[in-house]
Amino acid sequence: MSRRDFFRASGLVAAGAVGGPALLGGLTKARAATPAAPAWESKFSACDMCFNKCGLIAQVEDGVIKKLDPNPKFLKSRGMLCARGNAGLAQVYDPDRLKHPLLRKGERGEGKWQRIPWDEAIDMAAQKMEETRKKYTPCGHLFSAGSDLHSQFVGRFAEVYGSFNVTSHESLCLVSGNRAFLDTYGEVPFPDVLNSKYIVMAGANRFEALVTPDSIDLMTAMREHGCKLVTLDPRYTKTASLSDEWYPIKPGTDMAFMLAVAHVIIGEKLYDPQWIEEKTYGIEQLTEHVRQYTPGFAAEECGIPAEAIARIARELAAAAPASMIYPGRRTSDYEDSTQIRRAFAIVNGLLGNWDRPGGLLAARAVGLKGVPYDAPWYDENQEDRIDADKVPMMFEHEGSFLVTRDSVLADDPYPVRGWFIYKTNPMGTAPNRRKTIEMMNKMDFVTVVDIAMSDTAWYADLVLPSQSYLERLDPCSGLQGSVACACVVKRDPIIDPLYESRSCFDIMKDIAGRMDLGEYFDFTIEEFRKKQTREIPEALEVMDRDGVYYNPSKVYGIYEGRIYKTLSKKIELYNQRYEQMGLDPLPIYTPPTKVPKNQFRLVLGRNAMITQSSTTNNALLHQFIPSNTLWLNPDAALSLGIKDGDLVEVSSSVGRQELRAEVTKKIRKDTVFMLSGFNTLSTMQSLSHGNGASINEVLEDDYDAVTGNASMHTTFVTVTRKVA
Amino acid sequence: MAQQLAMVIDAAKCIDCKGCVAACKVANDVPTGQWRNWIKPTVEEVPIPGLLKSKPKFQPGACMHCENPTCVDACPTGATYKDKETGEVVINNALCIGCGNCIPSCPYDARFRNEVTRKADKCNYCPERRAAGLPPACVDTCPTKARVFGDINDPESAAGILYRKNKDRLTRISARTDTKPNMFYVGDPGHGDWGGEAVVPASMVAMKQSAPLIKGIVGLSGLGVLAMLGRQLLVGSDAEHKEDSDA
Ligand code: SF4
Ligand code: SF4
Ligand code: SF4
Repeated sequence: MSRRDFFRASGLVAAGAVGGPALLGGLTKARAATPAAPAWESKFSACDMCFNKCGLIAQVEDGVIKKLDPNPKFLKSRGMLCARGNAGLAQVYDPDRLKHPLLRKGERGEGKWQRIPWDEAIDMAAQKMEETRKKYTPCGHLFSAGSDLHSQFVGRFAEVYGSFNVTSHESLCLVSGNRAFLDTYGEVPFPDVLNSKYIVMAGANRFEALVTPDSIDLMTAMREHGCKLVTLDPRYTKTASLSDEWYPIKPGTDMAFMLAVAHVIIGEKLYDPQWIEEKTYGIEQLTEHVRQYTPGFAAEECGIPAEAIARIARELAAAAPASMIYPGRRTSDYEDSTQIRRAFAIVNGLLGNWDRPGGLLAARAVGLKGVPYDAPWYDENQEDRIDADKVPMMFEHEGSFLVTRDSVLADDPYPVRGWFIYKTNPMGTAPNRRKTIEMMNKMDFVTVVDIAMSDTAWYADLVLPSQSYLERLDPCSGLQGSVACACVVKRDPIIDPLYESRSCFDIMKDIAGRMDLGEYFDFTIEEFRKKQTREIPEALEVMDRDGVYYNPSKVYGIYEGRIYKTLSKKIELYNQRYEQMGLDPLPIYTPPTKVPKNQFRLVLGRNAMITQSSTTNNALLHQFIPSNTLWLNPDAALSLGIKDGDLVEVSSSVGRQELRAEVTKKIRKDTVFMLSGFNTLSTMQSLSHGNGASINEVLEDDYDAVTGNASMHTTFVTVTRKVA
Repeated sequence: MAQQLAMVIDAAKCIDCKGCVAACKVANDVPTGQWRNWIKPTVEEVPIPGLLKSKPKFQPGACMHCENPTCVDACPTGATYKDKETGEVVINNALCIGCGNCIPSCPYDARFRNEVTRKADKCNYCPERRAAGLPPACVDTCPTKARVFGDINDPESAAGILYRKNKDRLTRISARTDTKPNMFYVGDPGHGDWGGEAVVPASMVAMKQSAPLIKGIVGLSGLGVLAMLGRQLLVGSDAEHKEDSDA
């Protein structure tokens, strides 16, 4: 009998007693044999738990994923995998996953489903789509797809089907910021955080809302290169706490701050005159415009001391061009969010940091090519998108979800009665959930392709189980990451697909085949990849070897001798196109609506464990964040008679929710905060269903006047203690 | 010099993303609601807005594989021991009877009784991963590489380099019982007032310290404890470890 077996026997204690100290002494010296290396097979892939696509190595044993590790060669993610990335297993092996096609039986949202075979499901989807097209023209069908490498096939499908109505998640997130920078620089920049010496961060929370490589580079820049970070945030976030300076800015006043910074830089001639002369357009108009926006003025608006504003402006200018106003990402905050971000872009213009180390970088050449096709023409079709012309500068290919939703509800200008949704969950991400439910109810037929029964799927007619990122073959994707890389990634299946799941591409291909659109999907993903990489033929092989391909393209000075894609062919401090369109060519500050007495401004924000609505039902992440709470300042709580942990009701003009109060000094007195993704309606999300509060139920659905981007910080709520 | 595996941590770099904690849970099958490693937040008042004192706000930690591990003293079966070659503090699962003696004996609360295996559990520097040539899961996954691991006696290792480079400013978590942890923080580790006092059953300490003859006798009384706790294990008692150790 081995020693191990000996001690396993139930009599071990008695046996030990007989042996006494000698035996114990012997045991002290015992060695557990060095554990053997696991029989892992290592396979490359890219994470899909958020949009960042961090490089990973999946450790697989007997067809089961045991662990996801970072790919050290993956520079965009700097060889890391965050908590969500590590929790990828819990998503793939989630018992709540969709397993086979389901057809709704009862009322919408009632949760009665019937399992049907794939053939029947595809036939039905194709037939319903044909019917919609005949009855309402091709534009009578809406297509929505989230951020995913297969989403482009949904776009392709919509186009060959004949619909202009495609929405993505972006208009609930960042299109106003993109608009602002695009209209200033001619393209959307990547901040060179790593080499920056001074960063002002407003409206971003980079140490909690992870964006690679920025989040990681920011820490390296601060701790190893002495970069200074100034954070403006109504909350004392982790980013705020790690900053050199933090100001709990009054929500909605960022533009005043930025214009005052511009005022100081211009008034004290702290910019590089030659650079401004050569590269920018509109310094005179800007000079005139910002005269009124003194630090004193901004101090009144923002609640930040005037001296601090002036000093920060001077310090930014002293560190220029290796300094920046961090562009941020989620810019869905106010009805003038495009103009707010224009103010950010303009200060960067004054710092002369474009295309230079430590500043804002242009996109680099990645080498991937598009795969073109000729979409058929439909005579009977509508002239434009349903949300066209309702805001002046929408992004055509992203649309505006909120404007689309209002238009669908009003049949304005035409009816939309079919909806195909892939990997996006507007019910869980768009404000005013009731309106999304109404929109669902308006539809003749809704098909949802997802890996889980999201709230959007819960209200659909047909739910099709898709493969997770670790089960499918994806096309190549090009990624940018400031100085880190311009790279190409791909995904190969790490394990066989679970249950009856199928990839979105295969689903699109099958439906197209049933609708005489088969020629547009007449290829395999491998063939598609070959076409994408036709100009970098070595890329596929390199990706097999390293999990990533880097394009050795130029990082800085891309714009030397190149013209900017703006009307003046320069960086437009003053925007000529806006002038022509009757929009403010320079951002004009309007104070945010005053918070009504006894109410609070509801703000949202990210956390490193939460990707919108898609991670709150993840069994591993749930252990970190089991529910959401309402952040409430102690002074506010005291006047409302609310104690930490009390159940409170939060209500707005559109809805009400209940959750526990978290009484904390980490938030301003006039502001409350809660995390998104909780209190799902779908009972097939067992951890998030009925848990905490849904922020979408409470948020009102205002949007940015320029782009139609949702404005998520314009809702005022009343908070009351619930008497149990 | 023999090896000394250790973690060298720059707490000022930690962003409290909990990547390390999630990675550890997956790598080591740590049961729901239990944790082998952690990030301790600095308990501080929200500061006056403006310039902030830049001190570490988040403090990564785990078993510190101490120089004088009180957990080894507390273990009646020798399941917990300090590996002479590597300096690790190891739990030999085959010998662990799940008595729980070691749990309060760790002044840093690094140990727990694994709800599934019902044996003592704690950070073990991921030996399977190391055998496969990989770093411990938490170190591998950390975005800012706040956690660095290796043999600090090897001047070539990442941990050794960092250890030497910061020799003058390395700190340890202080506790009322000083076990000389092999977890070194570069500069200020963040707040350190959570280190507690080791609670080691008197009988176990006595046994280790006594002359061989007396050791036998004390050993027998120690075994009484052992028998009692062993029974607890077998009937699956959930008794608090604090009670376990009072015998
Ligand atoms: S940031 Fe985290 S969730 Fe997002 S892709 Fe990277 S590892 Fe995955
Ligand atoms: S930290 Fe605790 S468990 Fe780890 S070696 Fe030290 S005393 Fe033992
Ligand atoms: S992974 Fe690194 S940065 Fe994140 S919490 Fe752990 S030690 Fe801190």
